Order: sequence, then C-alpha cells, then structure tokens
Amino acid sequence: MSTVSEQPSAIRSYYEGLSEGVFRAITCKVCGGYTFPPTGCCETCGSWDVIPVELSGDATLLLASHNISPACHPRFEKIAPYVYGHIRLKEGPIVQAIILGVDPTPQALKALFECGPVPLKAETLQMDDLPVLAYRIVS
Amino acid sequence: MTGKLRERIAISGVGCSRFGDLLETPELKGTSIQELTARAVKEALDDAGLTGQDVDAVFAGNAMVHSSQVPGTYSQLSKWTGTQFKAGVHFEAQCSTTNVGAALAAMAVAAGVYDTVLVYGLETTRTKVKDFSPYEREPVSHQQTWLWTDMAVNQAYGVPQGYDIFSTYNGLVALGYCRKYGMSIEDFDRSMFELCKTRRLHGSMNPKANIQEKLEDRAKREGFSDPFDYWRSDEHNPFVAWPSRLLSLVTTADGASAMVITRADLAKGGKSPPVELKGFGISYSDLPWYGEDPTYWEFDRRAIDTAFEMAGIKPADIDYLHTHDCSHISGICTAEATGYLEPGEGLNAARDGRLRFDGDRPMSTHGGRHAFGHAWGASAGTDTYEAVLQMRGQAGPRQIKKQPEISVIHTHGYAMIGTVVVLGSI
Ligand SMILES: [Zn+2]
Repeated sequence: MSTVSEQPSAIRSYYEGLSEGVFRAITCKVCGGYTFPPTGCCETCGSWDVIPVELSGDATLLLASHNISPACHPRFEKIAPYVYGHIRLKEGPIVQAIILGVDPTPQALKALFECGPVPLKAETLQMDDLPVLAYRIVS
Repeated sequence: MTGKLRERIAISGVGCSRFGDLLETPELKGTSIQELTARAVKEALDDAGLTGQDVDAVFAGNAMVHSSQVPGTYSQLSKWTGTQFKAGVHFEAQCSTTNVGAALAAMAVAAGVYDTVLVYGLETTRTKVKDFSPYEREPVSHQQTWLWTDMAVNQAYGVPQGYDIFSTYNGLVALGYCRKYGMSIEDFDRSMFELCKTRRLHGSMNPKANIQEKLEDRAKREGFSDPFDYWRSDEHNPFVAWPSRLLSLVTTADGASAMVITRADLAKGGKSPPVELKGFGISYSDLPWYGEDPTYWEFDRRAIDTAFEMAGIKPADIDYLHTHDCSHISGICTAEATGYLEPGEGLNAARDGRLRFDGDRPMSTHGGRHAFGHAWGASAGTDTYEAVLQMRGQAGPRQIKKQPEISVIHTHGYAMIGTVVVLGSI
C-alpha cells in the first residue's frame, strides 16, 4: 500500500465539489476577479494570490444553441443532441455549459431566443463517469 | 517590446498540395504522407529557385500527430525534402501552424540567425495510419477526428463538461450576431446560403480544392430546381448548431503546404516575384473565447492591432482578406474586426456578392475552409499560398481583377490562437 500522500488538485477538488452540488471557483486578492472553473492563478491579472470561493449557482442564459448526435465526445452520446448555452453568472464570469429545461429543436430554441435572457440555476448532471456542470431554466 | 522586424522579410516561394482524401481523391489516392508533404515542399523550393540544401533551417508543422504518426517531423521528412543536416524543429499552433511558422521564421531571419527558412505543414484529418502499415491508411471516424482535435481545447473543464465546437463556434456566435444587429434568423439563413455559394464558386475554380462543385450544381444533382430549397432541406443540410447548418462549416481534408521565408534582398532568382511579409500578430486565449458579446473576440483584436502596427497598414489599405472560416459566421465577425467589412454589414456584403473574387471586397478566393477544405496544421499555409498567387496575378480564373498589393490573412489555431499575417507587394 502506498504511503505517498496525494497533492491538492484544483481539478479534482472542482469535480468532487460538483458531485456534492458545490460550484468552486477562485477570486483574486489583487484585482478581485473570478476564475471559474478554478486554476491556481488569476486569469485576469496573472496573480498567484488567490483564494477559493463557492459560487451561488445563479445565472442568466444569454443565448442557446444545440449540437448533433452522435456527440463529439463519447461521454455525451446518451444525451446528444443537447442544448448548449452562453451564460453570465451572477458573480460575473461568462460560462458555456449544457442547458436543461428546453428541447434541442429549432422551434424551441427559436422561441427561447425571441423571449430574450432568462434566469438559470446551476445543477449537477451525473454522467456515467463524471459529474458535469449544467444549468436549468428557472420557470 | 518593439513589435518591429529589423530586416525586410520576403516569401520567395510557396507550395500547396491538392486538398482531399488520401484514400479516394483524384491526384491524392494512394499517396503517402511523406510524398504529400514533399510535393508541397518541392513546389515552394522550385518557386524560390532553391533546393532543400539551400535553406538554413526547417520549421515542420503538424498538429494531429495521432493520425499522421510522424513526430520528429523535420528529421523523418528530411530525406524526402532534401533538407538533412539543417537546423530543424517540429512545432504546432493547431490551425494557425504554418503562419505561426512564417512568423517564427521571419523573427529568425530578422534577428540575423538564418538567411532562409523553409516552413511546411502537413495534416491528415480524413485518414490515419492503418494498423502498423508504413503506407496503408484507413478513414478516421467523425467522432475520432473531434476527440483528437478537441485535445487542443481545455482538457480540464471544457471538453469533459460538454464543450461542443458546433455550438460555441457557430450557433452561439450566429445568435449573438443576429441579436446585436437586429437580423432575423431567416435573413441569417439566406445570408449563410449566399456565403456558401461564394465559397463553393471559388472552390469550383480551384483545381486544388477539396470540393470543386458549385452549390447550385450539387442542388441540381440532388434533384432540387431551387438551390435555396436544397439549402433548407433537413436531409441535405441539417442544423448542426441552430441556427447554423452543416454547409456553413469546415470540411475535413488531408493536405500539405510550404513556404520559403528569406531576407528581402536575397529573394531573387526565383520563378516568380517575392512578396513581403510586412507584419504579424499572435494572441491566444482559452475558453470562453468571447465575453458577453459573441461577435467580439479579444485575442483577434490584439492580433489584428499588433500585425497592422508592425506592417504600418490601416484597414483601408487591405485589398484581399482571408479570415479563418471553419465557421462562416465567425469568419464574418473577424472580417468586420479587421475593418475590411463594416460592423453588422458583413452578411449583407456576402448577399450582395461583394466577397466574390470579382466583388469589391474579395475574400477567401481559394474556397475557404468549406470548399478548399481544412487540414489543420497545413491550412494557414494554403491561405498564404492563395494570397501570394493573387498578388502575383497567378490565380487563374479566380484572379482578382486589380492585383492585391496588401493582403491580410487571419487564422484561428484551435483553441484559440488568433494569428494575423500582413503581406505586401515588393
Ligand atoms: Zn487578478
């Protein structure tokens, strides 16, 4: 049995958080900017002086498109075609992610486009091998 | 940072293979990747009036090593290109590879280290090595192509969480464009049809293009009297990322390209006049590629500004433009960012035929990523190849009437390396 302890990993921590419904990011002590999903430094100013934070999960859907089946990645074969959205988080960052609560059809996407930005709430979509960040339209 | 070249730099030779499929395309079927590359290199060296032993260094580009299986490209290809004992490096900047190579070569020459550098790029996105055969190849599946290609995209969070090139590069940009400029989805669709017609018209005039059939001829062959009905057919042209359709996208290809970069005062004795490499700009970022406004890409802005500053040009100086058009709508957004097209007017320009070789804003006259086809690490070199042909008056039936004096070539290296090269007549 190995006695070597595992080093901290922002990626592993992010996915472990996701499986518990926690959305981990970092903020910068120098410029105040968010980096989401988290790395080890600030994506805006390059500072290494960052602290972990949890995001609210509140967001706004700006635009939504869809994709094709079979999916580009085998992980998503079961759910393709799916809706993929351009999102502004309450905390500020822009994110793109899978959108739940609307059908991946031209008709449904057109109706959504015409009604303009709508509120979203983050949730975890459990795929076979990995928890995945998704956002559900708040009705 | 001075952002300047200390010497005048020239492209003295260019070469480019036919683009297509090594298993089925005429002029390519049965060709090995070594011979494919050698063909492009020979054309470029012949064009410059040189042999492989006349260059000082070789920058060999190949992005998707999974299908080509020639890492150590400079040495493995050296006996096929006559370049052994030269300095060499294998590098990649994905779909900007060959033009980033031109920039690296320009820096090496301007620094006084080398006089002449051969840059080439090779890629096979349709076929891969079969088992362990030294010459047999087999098709790559659609999903395999994207799995390998997407390895150049955020592997920590983007790809594992459902990132999809079709939505991110096409559908969401299209919707952002429509919302920003108040364009209806129906108008957008019609404009994409006209833009595809232009790309395919250019492909039909280019014997090296992957697709050489006009959109109208394809529609007729499929039994449609109105090509727009063919365009709107879900069977033939489905939405791949609403509101973007299949025929607004890249087509994959196997191919190779090459160019010779040298000091301007040495660029004599070739078959054709040299062209000056006046400036370049490179800026990269990871996902997301754009902020709240999907039509504005910060790394492209920076690459354009840097290249124009180095070259000393203004938007009004551009006579010919290529922008990376894996996605037709993102290519239009970049063209607007260069100032060649007015913001919000790019699609109207496409509808009015202004982007054709005989229009007043000619673009991508080789056929672009859709009709000429896309072989990732080789493609930027084909964009430069076309610009050089146009500037020399060698583009045949698709020649722009007034030979361009200033050309701008923009490429997106997945994902994303915004790269801009400015060429000028000498
Ligand atoms: Zn910061």
